[in-house]
Parts: sequence; C-alpha cells; structure tokens
Amino acid sequence: MNSSTINSFPSGASGHGTVTRQCVRDLRRALGRERVLATPEELIAYEYDGTIERGKPQAVVFPETTAQVAAAVRVARRFDVPVIPRGAGTGLSGGAVATVGGVVVALTRMKRILEVDPENRFAVVEPGVVNLDLSRAVASHGLYYAPDPSSQRACTIGGNVAENAGGPHCLAYGATTNHVLGMEIVLSDGEIVQIGGRSRDVPGYDLTGAFVGSEGTLAIATKIVVRLMRMPESTRTLLAIFDVLDDASNAVSSIIGDGMLPSALEMMDRNIIAAVEPVIHSGFPLDAGAVLLIEVDGLDEATREQAAEIERICTRHGAREVRLAVDPPDRERLWAGRKTSISALGRLYPNYYVLDGVVPRTRLPGVLRQTYAIADAHGLAVANVFHAGDGNLHPNLLFDEREAGVLTRVLDAGAEIMRLCVAAGGSITGEHGVGLEKRDFIGWIFSESDLAAMAKLKTAFAAGDRYNPCKVFPTHRGCGEVTSARAQATAAAVGGDVYV
Amino acid sequence: MSSVAAAPALEEFIDAVCPPIERNRVRTAGLASFEIDGDRPDIALWPATLDEVARILSEADEARLAVVPLGGTSHAALGNIPEGYDVALSTTRLDAVLEHEPADMTVSVQAGVTLASLQRLLAGHGQTLPVDAPSTDASTVGGLISSNAQGPLRHAFGTVRDWLIGTTVVHADGTVSKSGGRVVKNVAGYDMHKLYVGSLGTLGVVTEATFKLAPTPRVDQTLVARFDSPGDAGRAAHQAHDRSLAVHSLELLSPAAAQHALQIPLWCLLVRSAGLPGAVDRSIRDLNTIVLEHRGKLDSVDAICWSAWAAMFLDPPLALRASVLPSQVAAVLEVMDRSFAGAAARASATVSAGLIRLRLEPTREERGPALIQRARDIVARFGGSVIVEAAPVSVKHAADVFGELRSDFAIMRRLKQECDPRRTLSPGRFVGRL
Repeated sequence: MNSSTINSFPSGASGHGTVTRQCVRDLRRALGRERVLATPEELIAYEYDGTIERGKPQAVVFPETTAQVAAAVRVARRFDVPVIPRGAGTGLSGGAVATVGGVVVALTRMKRILEVDPENRFAVVEPGVVNLDLSRAVASHGLYYAPDPSSQRACTIGGNVAENAGGPHCLAYGATTNHVLGMEIVLSDGEIVQIGGRSRDVPGYDLTGAFVGSEGTLAIATKIVVRLMRMPESTRTLLAIFDVLDDASNAVSSIIGDGMLPSALEMMDRNIIAAVEPVIHSGFPLDAGAVLLIEVDGLDEATREQAAEIERICTRHGAREVRLAVDPPDRERLWAGRKTSISALGRLYPNYYVLDGVVPRTRLPGVLRQTYAIADAHGLAVANVFHAGDGNLHPNLLFDEREAGVLTRVLDAGAEIMRLCVAAGGSITGEHGVGLEKRDFIGWIFSESDLAAMAKLKTAFAAGDRYNPCKVFPTHRGCGEVTSARAQATAAAVGGDVYV
Repeated sequence: MSSVAAAPALEEFIDAVCPPIERNRVRTAGLASFEIDGDRPDIALWPATLDEVARILSEADEARLAVVPLGGTSHAALGNIPEGYDVALSTTRLDAVLEHEPADMTVSVQAGVTLASLQRLLAGHGQTLPVDAPSTDASTVGGLISSNAQGPLRHAFGTVRDWLIGTTVVHADGTVSKSGGRVVKNVAGYDMHKLYVGSLGTLGVVTEATFKLAPTPRVDQTLVARFDSPGDAGRAAHQAHDRSLAVHSLELLSPAAAQHALQIPLWCLLVRSAGLPGAVDRSIRDLNTIVLEHRGKLDSVDAICWSAWAAMFLDPPLALRASVLPSQVAAVLEVMDRSFAGAAARASATVSAGLIRLRLEPTREERGPALIQRARDIVARFGGSVIVEAAPVSVKHAADVFGELRSDFAIMRRLKQECDPRRTLSPGRFVGRL
C-alpha cells in the first residue's frame, strides 16, 4: 500500500490516480473540514447503495453549493481521481457505488427548493431534494411532481434525473425525462453550464433529454427545473382479482389496447400476495392467481367512464371480482399492499434479488410463464410485482444466502430472465438503470457501434471517465478488475430496504 | 453551391455508390424540388435500404461532399443556409412499416414513411401518433423528427420527443447506431434519440424510428371562444388549462390569425375537446362558464378550421417561433400584435407550452431582418427566445435563425465534431452554424 494512500484500494486500479492525503487536504481546504469524510470508519456507510454491489470510496464530500461542487470536482481532477455523484443511495443498479474508489460527491445537503412558480407549473430544486418532499412542498398550490418511484420517501430528484426514474404513475405521465425542463450542471473540469431552461423550447440539441438517465457519467446536476402537474380532481382505484395469471396479463393488454390510459396499472402474483396480505390486509385473496391494481385519474366524468370500462374488460378476461376503492383510506390500503410488497418478501425468505426488465405488453403472459420456469430450473422461488401497464417486470428471486452456492444460481437465473426480456423484444432495464449490475448485459441489446455512438456523448460533455467510471459501459481500461470486485461483493448480504 | 463538387469528383462519387444504388435512383438534373435557401444540389439519391444510406454517406464523407437528408421537404425552410449542399439524400424510398403490434401501442417505421400514410394505418386500429405539425401529403416521419415540427396537439401531447422511443441512425462515416428500443419504458444506455429530434440532420440520418402511440379519442369537438381583449382570452386560456379539462388543443389566436382561420376578427381561443363522451360534455360546460366569466362567447365550429390554421404556417413568407413562459404569452402576443400591425402579422400560441407562432409578411418599409430583431427584442424582455422557422434566403444572410448562443454551445459543438468531424451532414444549418 502506498504510504500516502488513505485506504486499501489499489492505486490506479481504474487507470485513475488515487486519493492521497494531499488530495483530502485540498478537498478540506476547498469545501471546509466539516464537508469531507475520509477515515475508513466514516466511509463505511458510503460503500453501498440499494444493491449487492460494494465499493470503497476514499473520500466523501458534502457540498452545499454549486461552487463547492465545482471546487470538489476540480480537486478530483487535479489528482486524477474519479468522481461518483450520489443522492440518497437507494439506487438498484449499483450506480452510486465507488467501484474503483475515488471521491463520492454526496448531494444530500443541497436540498433547497429554490423556486416554485405555480402559474407556470415548474419548480427549481437542488439535487438533494427528496422526491416526496417536493410534492408535499407544492401541494398547497394544488400541484405535485409526477414521477413516483416507490422509494420516493427517500430518493432524491438528482438521483431520479441520473436514473431517469419511473414509478407506478409514469404509465400515464412519463418517467423523469418527461418532467425535467432544464438543469445547471458541473462538468468534469468544474465548468458550470446551463442546459435546457424554464421555458419549454430552447434552441439547440436536446442536451437535457440526453442527460436524463445518464447515470452520473456525464456531469453533476446542481439545479434542476422540473415540471409540476395539477392534482386531479378525481382518482378511482380498482382491484381486479384473477384466478389465472395469464388472464390478468391479457386484461392488461386489452386495457391499454382499448385506449383506457390508466394512470397506474400494477400486477402482483400469488407469491407476492402470500407475503403481503397476512401483514397489510389489503384484501388480496390468498388463493388468487394474480391481482391488478388499476388507477385512473382526471375529471370525475372521465374516471367514472374509464373505471366502468376497465371493469368490463377485466370481467371479460375472467376476473373473479373487480372492486372499486370506496374511499381514500380504502385506496391507501390497496396501495400499501403494493408499496410494501417487496419488503414483505422478507417474511417468506431471508433474501431476495430484485430484477428490472421490460417486454412489449402483449408478451407478458409468455414471459411471465418462462420467468417461473427459469426460477424453478435454478431451484429458486420467484415473486412478481410490477408495472404491468408498461410491460416493466420486477421478478424477485427468493433465497437464503446461507445455502451454499445459492448466489451463483440467483445471478444465473437473473441473467437468464434478462435474456428472456431481450429475446421478447424488450430491454434489460425499465427504470433501475444499467449501473454496475447490468454493465455486462448492455451488449445484449446494443452493438459495439451503438455503444460507440453513445461514447460520443461522453466526449461532448468532456466527461471522459472522470464521472462514475466503469458504469453503464464496459469500456474503460481498468474496468476489467471490477468484475471480480463484483463477484466478491456478491458474497455479501442481499436484501435490505428495496423499493421498486 | 452546385459548383463545390467538381464534375470529376461527382462522377467518381456516382461510380462509388452505383451499384448498390441503381442508376434510376440517382438524378443529376431537374432538382428544383430539392432547393434549400435558393441552392440546388448536384445530385439527388433515393436509397432504398439502410446499407445504401450507409454507402452514400461514407462515400460522400470520404469525397468531402456535403449531404442534406430530406424527406417530404415541407420543413426544409428551417435552419441556417447550408454551407455546402452537394448531395440530396431523399429518404422517401425508405417507406416500410417495420412493425405494428396494435395491442402494444407502438409502431416502428422507416424514416421515409409519410405521416399521412402512418396516421391512416394507425386510424384503422383506433390509434394515432398525436403530433399534428402543419404538413403536406409528402411530409415524412424522418422530417418530423429532424425538424421537431409541431402543431396544436402540443397542448396535451408535447412534441415528437415525447413519443419517440427508439431510432436507427446512419452517421456521416457510414456507421449505423441505434438507441432506445421498441418498449415504452427503457433506461438502457443514453437516450441518443432525444438528440436527433430537431437536429436538422446534422448528427446523422435517421432511417428508422419507433413511437409509442395514443388512442384516437372517441369524441372530438372543436370550439371557438371569441374575446374583445387579449388579456381576457389569455386569462381564460390559463383557467381552462388549470382545470385539467379534456382538452387536446388550446390555441390563442390574434385577430388577424382568427380572421384568416375562422373569419372572426377578434382574439380567439381555438379549442379541441376530446376524449370520453362524459368528460368532453363536462369540459365544454366548464369551458363555457370560463369563457362567459371573461366576457367571451363560445361556439362549436367545424374541425376543418384546423386545416385553415395549419395553412397559415405552411410556406409563409416569414415565420417565427417564440418560446416564453406560459403566463407571459398573452402579454407578448399583445405587444407583437401592436408592433407588427404593418407586417400582416398572424399569431397563434399554444399557451400551456409558452409557444408563439408568428407569421409575417415583410414589406419594403419593414424588412425581414428588422422584423426578426424586433421580435427578439420583445421576447428578450420576457426572458424568452425566438427562432426563425422560415425566411427568404436574403433574410437568412442577415439574421441567424437560432439567435444567440448559450453556455451549453461548447457541448453542442463537441457533439457535432464527434458525430460528423468532416462536417458532411447539413453543414452550417444548425445552431451556431454547426
């Protein structure tokens, strides 16, 4: 170990420099001592996010202003160390893990809502603002922020921008990319640039659109202009109970195909119901093959018509019962069942691994059947709770990590299910991102030439591999060693507070 | 600049691309319909496959010929004057529908498919791509993407950016790349396709596109509300927007525009209320109340008036597009209407998007560049921006189509440099004459 290296990460493992004592001193000088962590004990909490991935940063900084972000980035550049932007650390693809060491820039202290313009329905926020806090802050104007990842009580808008986060209600209103108008970003040399703006149309390439979902690899967003939406005057929530899972899948296709445009359309299978119902009592029958949780919102007249038609469609597809939530507490109960689904799995198995894949909606019945078959072939149980209306699957592989060799089977089954999504014409991720977890899968859907075109965007942002190296694209020269780090990390515990 | 490519170079180029391109899909004369800003190409080609597009681009890139990709040419007036224009690459032979699974509500098409034929196909399944840019029968999907053209449906459905979920693009060196995919939700890789929307073919030639689709509304009614003052009309528009009514389009028209499209010489709101029957009934009732509260009058009109609306913005002598905050629209329109009275100004605004379209007729006293500058001065006071959607070449020589550059221009320049280092594709047409 180099005597001036702060912790045990091997110097230059990623082709980058390392965080020396002098680098930490410079970070402290630039940001203030209280905004820099660098001792091994302090750094432990920043080794992981919501996944099984692990990586030790060598310093974590907590800037409170754009100028401090820029200062930290400039110091990192001077010492040629990578910068890993981080929000609340709820990500599900290892995007905030310092996989090759470096400086984590934690944006959680930049949590001011700088401006709310109710008339023009936008807000300007710092990246550390928690998703749900934004909706709460604008509720008095009758407005809300539409993207609602299930981690919305904890996750930040900056993290949402990085991952292009979705959520149940992005079926009708789109994911984060449809709700960001512009940003202030800090480039890897510390330069501060505005992209997009408050007005809807800014001349030039849509850099905002390309930036959302770039997983922290291009720049750090320090101010974000987000669209706000008017709260609907009416919301109707239905629970459709099916004996046969395939019937539920076919009902999903019909609801969408008939143009009903629900705001949310979620499916939970028998294994999820078995985990959730005894605890939450949402009214999901234990003997059902699957339930659909369907929500429509808008004008009272519209939701009444939609709800009636959706009920007819579900019945036509063999729903045993379709129940309309009678009041807000009833609706809350139904959603509580959905939102606690995954954590409730802990009742059945000590560990679970959440997958995220997408298929065309019409392929849901076959793909779900094969998902069960794949899990079965690997001797694993699987529970499905997912955004059916988007075709966005979240199979949860259930296991006990104490069982010898089980993690290999879990990862193998996960990879097979991803292959299945790709073969069905879908994608390896609908909302969790590629990050570290799926970096080696991206070649399944994109050719070398596709990835080469994407790499041009890194050059355009002058990002090189300074921001979040070894994520998304398996290209960097030092990234080969990361795979083994991941394999080692796999031995660590899986599970915890996971939201989808 | 038909002389940029010397005749021998052109001959060599033709030899290099034919075959695979058949000679009957190459033309070196009679190219008037490909004119851009008064300039004609030396050669036009109609590739019929992705590989042929790649071949044309790599050979042109190698030979340093400037290529402008074109579809139906309905929005070819947009953009700065090309610095070079040797080759017109027409996408109109790339006209296959690649995949349409109606129940998935997505469609994949080649770029040369016309919007009209696509909408006909989709209508048969009760579906639509909800973008209604002023267009002709020849307008193509590729043209829609590269011009980011839009119409009154912007109010409820945004622009083509919000519906495009994947593209295949051929870059200047002939390499092919795709981004996105065929599923409605997908965060794998960078969303490169966002960059191609509105890029005027400066980063690559879009050859295939996949869109998500919207259902055709069951009921679709057009209404017009007339007002004595722009303030009343603007406030009524805001209230209508605020109530989240079943409204797909909500345009605020200046008296001259309303006279042209509706034969009503007053400030008007042209509204399309659409959706399920009960929701539309309720929305029209609410609209009526809002309009009355603002001393206006609401009537049903024939949907044909949308065509008259679109006609105002096809082939205009001078057309500008301003972007401001929604709350500023009425005030900006009022100033513009007064300020441009001499130039036969017709203005229409998608209030909720802060988008103002202005059609002007320059005169001897009020020439194009001066009108553009005045519009920019007005809009700058509100913090907005103005682009020139269409102008005679003489005007374009004097005024930049996209206006002032911003702090992000360096990123755009590097992007262009990366994607098209020899400046083969539509050189000079985009922001900052990229």
